[in-house]
Amino acid sequence: MLELEGLSCRFGETVAVAEVSLRVPEGQMLGIIGRSGAGKTTLLRMINRLQEPSAGAIRFHGQEITRLRGKALRRWRAQCAMIFQHFNLIPRLDVLTNVLMGRLFYRSEMASLLGLFAASERALALELLERHGLLETALKRAGTLSGGQQQRVAICRALMQEPRLILADEPVASLDPRNAQLVMDALRRISREDGISVLVNLHDLRIARSYCDRIVALSAGRVVFDGAPDALTESRAREIYGAPDEESPAFETSHPFAVV
Amino acid sequence: MRRASDISPAEIAALKARVPSAFAAPFGRRALRAFGILAVLLWLALLFWWFDISPSRLRHGLAGLRVILRLMIPPSVGAQWPDILRGLAESVAMAFCGTVIAALLALPLGFLGARNVLSQILAHFSLRRGFDALRGIDQLIWALAFVRAVGLGPLAGTLAIAAAEIAVLAKLFAEAIENADPHQTEAVRAVGGSRLLAIRFGLLPQIFPVLLAQILYAFESNTRSASILGVVGAGGIGLQLAERIKIRYWNEVAFIILLLIVVVGLLDFLSGRLRRRLVAAD
Repeated sequence: MLELEGLSCRFGETVAVAEVSLRVPEGQMLGIIGRSGAGKTTLLRMINRLQEPSAGAIRFHGQEITRLRGKALRRWRAQCAMIFQHFNLIPRLDVLTNVLMGRLFYRSEMASLLGLFAASERALALELLERHGLLETALKRAGTLSGGQQQRVAICRALMQEPRLILADEPVASLDPRNAQLVMDALRRISREDGISVLVNLHDLRIARSYCDRIVALSAGRVVFDGAPDALTESRAREIYGAPDEESPAFETSHPFAVV
Repeated sequence: MRRASDISPAEIAALKARVPSAFAAPFGRRALRAFGILAVLLWLALLFWWFDISPSRLRHGLAGLRVILRLMIPPSVGAQWPDILRGLAESVAMAFCGTVIAALLALPLGFLGARNVLSQILAHFSLRRGFDALRGIDQLIWALAFVRAVGLGPLAGTLAIAAAEIAVLAKLFAEAIENADPHQTEAVRAVGGSRLLAIRFGLLPQIFPVLLAQILYAFESNTRSASILGVVGAGGIGLQLAERIKIRYWNEVAFIILLLIVVVGLLDFLSGRLRRRLVAAD
C-alpha cells in the first residue's frame, strides 16, 4: 500500500504539485492523466525521490519515504522501478548490460565497477529479454534498437530490480500504436500477475481508460478526478482538460488526429 | 516475479549453451585484449630503459628544480621592467592578430572542408588531408621560417601563429558544420531559399556558439604559446624570459611567469563572460 499525504512541490513561485493525497492498494494499475504541465511527472519523480517534495508525506507499507537518506534511499529507489518517456537507456552499452544495471543496488560496488555480474543474474536478464521478444538483441548496442524495443529493454531493467512498485512516466508517448500496445500489455501483466502497483502517467485518455483500474486526473497540481475509468465521462474529461482547444485530447469516438 | 536467486544451475547451463557470449567474451577477444595490454606495458618499459628514466635520476632532477624554486623567491620586477611589460603586451597583441587572421581565413576553408557543404568526395578528401598536413607543422617551426622571411620581431610571430592556427580552426569549424542539425537548413531550402541563404539562416545560427568558443580558446592558447616565440626572435615576452634564464636571474623569471599566469587567467575570465553574453539565450 502506497500512501501519499498532502504531497506538494514548489519551484519558487510556481506550485507544481499541490497537496496530493492518494492511497494505492497492492496490484492496482493507476493511470494519472492531465494536460502537460499539470504536475504528473513531478508527482512520480517525488515518489522515488528524484525530486524532493516541499511538503507532505510518502508512506510505503507504513515506512516513511520522505526522510530516507544514503543507502536506505538507494534501496527504496531499487524497489520502485522507474520507466521513462525517453527510455533512459545507456545507448553505447549493450542491451544485456543495460538490463543487468537493474541489479546495481543489490551487488558489491567493486564487482559492479569491474562489470562482473553473476551467472544467475545474466541468466535472469536473458530470460526476461526472451519473454519480451528481445533475446536476439542481447549483445547489440541499446542505441541501435527501435523506440519500442528500447522501452521493452527498460521494462526488463525495471523487472531486474525486483521492484515492489513501478512508476512509468509517459511510457508510450514516443511510441507508435503497435509498440505502445506491447508496452502497456507488459505493464498490465506485471500488475496483474505479480501484484505490483503500477503508477502510469498518460496523456492519451483512451489508453488510460482501456488499461487502468483507476484514474486520477491532475490539473494545476491538484487532484480533480479520482475514480473508476467508467466514471470519467466525456463531460468530466472536458472539464479536466478545459475548453476544447488544440490541447484537448481526442475522446473515444473521435479520430486521434481530428482537428477540433 | 522471478528473482535472480530462483534461477537454477540447470537453467543457467541451458542459457549458457544457447547464448555463450552473454556470459563471457569469446576466447579470441579475451586473448587479444590481454595481448594488447601486455604489448603497451612492454613498450612503456622499453622506453623507460631507452631514456634512462630511473628513480635516482628523477630524484636528482627534483632536487635541482627545488634549488631553482628557492632562487625564484621572492620574485623581483628587476631594473628593466618596462621591457618586460612591453614584451607581454606584444605577446598578447601577436596572439590576438594571429588568431583573428587565422579565424577569418579558416571560416571559408571550414565550410569547404565540411562534407555537408562540399559533397565532392575528392575535393573534400584532399582539403581535409591538406589541413592535416599543415597541422603537422608546429608553431615554432613556422616562427623560425618567418623570422628568416620577414626578419626579427612581432610580425614573424603573428604570421607563425596565424599559419599554425588556420588548419586547426578550419578542421574544428568543418567538424562543427558537419555535426549541425540538417533539419534547420532543410527548412530554409523548403521555403525557397538558396544554398547560400540556407547556410546564412539554417547553419550559421547553430554553429555560431561553437565557432565563438573555439576562437576564444585559440586566442587564449595562442597567448600562452606567444610567450615562447620570442626565444627564436619572433617577438614578445619570450626574449626577455630566455635572456633572464640564461643569466640565471630566477627571481625576475618568477615575476614574468606570475605576470603570464595573471594575463592568461584574465583572458580566460573575460572570454568566459563574452561567451555567456553572446551565446546565452537572452
